[in-house]
Amino acid sequence: MSIETNQDVVLCLKDLKKDYGTKNVLKGINLTVQRGQIIGYIGPNGAGKSTTIKILLGLESEYGGKVEIFGEEINEINISYKRKIGYVPEVAELYDNLTAMEYLTFVGELYGMDLQTADEKARSLMNVFGMEAVYHSRISSYSKGMRQKVLIISSLLHNPDLLFLDEPLSGLDANSVMVFKEILAVLASQGKTIFYSSHIMDVVEKISNRIILINDGNIVADGSFHELKEQNKEGTLEQIFNQLTGFNEYKVLAEEFVSIVQRV
Amino acid sequence: MKNFRTLRFLDLFRGLFESFGINYTVMRRILAVKLTMDGRRTPTIFNQQTKKKKKPEENGFMKSLGIYVLLSLMLIPFTMLGSNFLYQMSIFYGIVMFLVMTSMISDFSNVLLDVRDKAILLTKPVNKKTLNVAKTIHICIYLIFLTTALTAIPLLIGTYRHGILFLLLGVIGLVLVNLFIVVVTAIIYYFILRFFDGEKLKDIINYVQIGLSVSIAVGYQVLARSFSVVDMNITFTPSWWQFLIPPIWFGAPFELFLKHHSDFYINSFSLLALFIPIIAIIIYSRMMPSFERNLQKLTNNSGGGSRKKQWWINGLVNVICRSKEEKIFFRFADNMMRNEREFRLKVYPALGMSLIVPFIFMFNEIQLNSYTHLVTSKWYLAVYFSCLMIPNAVAMLKYSGKYKGAWIYQTAPLQSLAPLYSAVLKVFISNLFLPIYLILSAIFIGIFGLKIIDDLLVVLVTAILFTIICSNYLKGTLPFSESFEDALQSGGLKVIVALLCLAVFAGIHFAITFIPFGVPIYLIILIMITFFSWKQAYRTVWNF
Repeated sequence: MSIETNQDVVLCLKDLKKDYGTKNVLKGINLTVQRGQIIGYIGPNGAGKSTTIKILLGLESEYGGKVEIFGEEINEINISYKRKIGYVPEVAELYDNLTAMEYLTFVGELYGMDLQTADEKARSLMNVFGMEAVYHSRISSYSKGMRQKVLIISSLLHNPDLLFLDEPLSGLDANSVMVFKEILAVLASQGKTIFYSSHIMDVVEKISNRIILINDGNIVADGSFHELKEQNKEGTLEQIFNQLTGFNEYKVLAEEFVSIVQRV
Repeated sequence: MKNFRTLRFLDLFRGLFESFGINYTVMRRILAVKLTMDGRRTPTIFNQQTKKKKKPEENGFMKSLGIYVLLSLMLIPFTMLGSNFLYQMSIFYGIVMFLVMTSMISDFSNVLLDVRDKAILLTKPVNKKTLNVAKTIHICIYLIFLTTALTAIPLLIGTYRHGILFLLLGVIGLVLVNLFIVVVTAIIYYFILRFFDGEKLKDIINYVQIGLSVSIAVGYQVLARSFSVVDMNITFTPSWWQFLIPPIWFGAPFELFLKHHSDFYINSFSLLALFIPIIAIIIYSRMMPSFERNLQKLTNNSGGGSRKKQWWINGLVNVICRSKEEKIFFRFADNMMRNEREFRLKVYPALGMSLIVPFIFMFNEIQLNSYTHLVTSKWYLAVYFSCLMIPNAVAMLKYSGKYKGAWIYQTAPLQSLAPLYSAVLKVFISNLFLPIYLILSAIFIGIFGLKIIDDLLVVLVTAILFTIICSNYLKGTLPFSESFEDALQSGGLKVIVALLCLAVFAGIHFAITFIPFGVPIYLIILIMITFFSWKQAYRTVWNF
C-alpha cells in the first residue's frame, strides 16, 4: 500500500472505520489534508465528527483503516506526533481548580517546554487577550469566554503545526471572535494546518478554504465553498448543509413548535 | 506551583521508573498538578466547620490529617491493653478499614473517577503507561498519608508494649488492607457503573460522604469512652461465619505469631489476609480496561430515570399550602432539597447527628444510674436535641450549588416572593425535620410510654416556632440564591443565640412538667403563639 508520500501531506485517512458495538459511527472515511489548509469539518450531531478527532488524537484505539499524521502511522507507543498537535475540545474540560498560570505551564511542560518559557509565553498570550489580571486566579472563577480563551492559549502555547478546533468560538464575544479568526488566517498563511469543526455555518463558510461535510459516518461533500455552491445550486453553506443531510422539514417542525407554544 | 516534599522523595527512585520506560519528568509534573488540586479540595471531614475566608493557600488535605491523628487516639486501647489479639486487632483493622474506605470514597472518588484525565492528558504527548503509573502513585501517596496519620500512634504504642514483631505485622497488615480496600472500592464502582449510570454513583458517593461526616462526629463521642468499651475478657470462639469478615483475617496473624496460638481457624484467617489482597489486585489489573470503558458512562447519562410520582407529596401540598404560588414553590423547594447533593452534604449530617445525640446522652445516664431509673425520669426532653440542627439548616436554605439559577425568581411574573419563603420553610419542616422527629418520638414512646405524647406535641410546636425565629437568617436573601462558597458555617453568634433560645424553651417545658395539667395548657398557648407569629413573620420578615 502506498499512501502519498508528499512532503506537504499532513494528514491522511484511509478507509477509517469505527463502531461502538453494533453502531457504525464511521463507515470508511478517506481524506488527505495538505499543509496550510483550513478544513471546515461539519456534519449533524452524531455524524462522527468528534469520533474522527478522537481517533486522530489517539483517544480511541480500536478502529479499522489507516491513519497517518506527518507521514507516520499513529499508534499507542509512538506518541511523539502529538507534540506538533494542538487541540481545543468541544466541552471546556480543564482542571479548573488550578490557576491559569498553573494550568498553562503544566500543559506547556507536557508538550516539552520548560517552565520559564511556558510561563513567559502564557503570560504574554493572556496579556493579548486582556486577561493578565486573572493570570493567578483559579480558572473556576472565570466566565465562559475566559475559560475558552485559556483553552485556546493552551492549544497554541507550543506552536503546533496541526490544530484541531472543536467549536472553539463558544462563549467568545464578537471582538474576540474577530481576533481569533484573524489568528487562524495568519497561522494558515504560515503553513499551519487547521481542522475546524463547528455547527455555526456562517463562520465555517467564511474561514475555511476546504469544507468537508460528513453525514452518517460518510463524507458526503468535499471541496471549497465555491465548488460546493456550484454542485448544489444553493446560496449558503447552511442551505447546502440542509440539502446534503437530507433535512428539509425544518419549516414543518418550526410551525408545529409555534403552534404548540400558542396553545392555551 | 509548590515543590512537594513527597515528590522530592520520589525523585530518589527516578532511575527505577525510567528503567520501566516511564517518562519521569512528565509523571512528576502530572503528580504535582494532582497534589496541588488535592490540597485545594475541602475534605469531607471539614464540611461541618467554619470556613475561614481569604486564607492564603493552605493545604486542606494535610490539615485533614490532623483530624485523623486525633481519631487514631481511639485505637490506642486496642493495641495497648491486653493481649487478646484476635479480638483487639480485628476491631483495630475494622475501624481502620472503615475510615480509610469511607474517606477514600468521599474525598478521592473524583480522582479515581476523573474522566477529564483522558481528554486533557492523552491528547498531549503523554503515553498511557506514564499516566497509569502517575495515577497509581497518586493513590498510593494518598493512602500512605491517610493510613500513617490514622495508625502511627497506636502502632508505636503497641510496639512499645508487644515488641518489634508487632510493628512488622502491623505494617504488613496495613499494606495488605490498603490493597484490599482499593480493589474493593474499584469493584464496587465497577458494578454500580455497570448497572446504573453516573448520577446514581454520584448519589451513592454523596451518601457515603454524609455517613462519614456523621461517623466522625460520633467517633469523637466514642473516643472518650473507648477505654471503657474495650472489654478484654471477651472469649473469642472461632466459627465459620468469621471467614466472611475481613478485619478478622487481618487480626489473626498477631494471634499466630505473637502468641504462637495456632489452630485451623487462625491459620486459615492468616492465609486469607495474605492471599486475598494479592489475588484481588491481580483480578483488578485484569479488569482495568473494562473499568475504564464503564467510566465513560459517568459523562453520558443515559437519561431514563422516570421518577416515581410521589402521590404523598401532592397530598401534602394540598393540605399545608394555601395559595397557588405557595404550592408551586413547595414542589420546587422539595425538588431542590431532594436533588442537590451539595445541600444534602451540608445539612444531612446534622440530621443524622440529631437522631443520634439524644441517645448518647441517655446512654450516659444509663451508665450512671439504671435503665429503670431512666424510664421514670424526664429524659424524654432529650427530644429537644432534634431541634439543634434547625438554625444551621435554615441558614443553609439560602445557598445552592447552582445559585446562579436564582434569576428565575426575578423574571417570573409574581406579585410577591413571600410564598417562596413560607414554602421553603414548610418543606424544611415536613421533609427534613419531621422524619427525624417522628423516628425519635416513636423510639421515645417505646421507652417512656404513651404518657409523653403531649410533651412530644409541645416539642413539635416549639420546633415550628423555633424555625420561624431562625428564619430571620434568611432575611435579605432569596432561598437557593447564594453560593455555598460564601457560607460561613455553624460558627457565628447568631447560631449560639438561637441555641440559647432553644435552651430557654426546653427549660420552660421542664418547669411546666411540675405543674399539674401544665403541659396541655402550655401546648395550647404555644399553638396560638406559633400561629400568630407565622402570620406576623409572613408579613414583616419576608417583605423586603
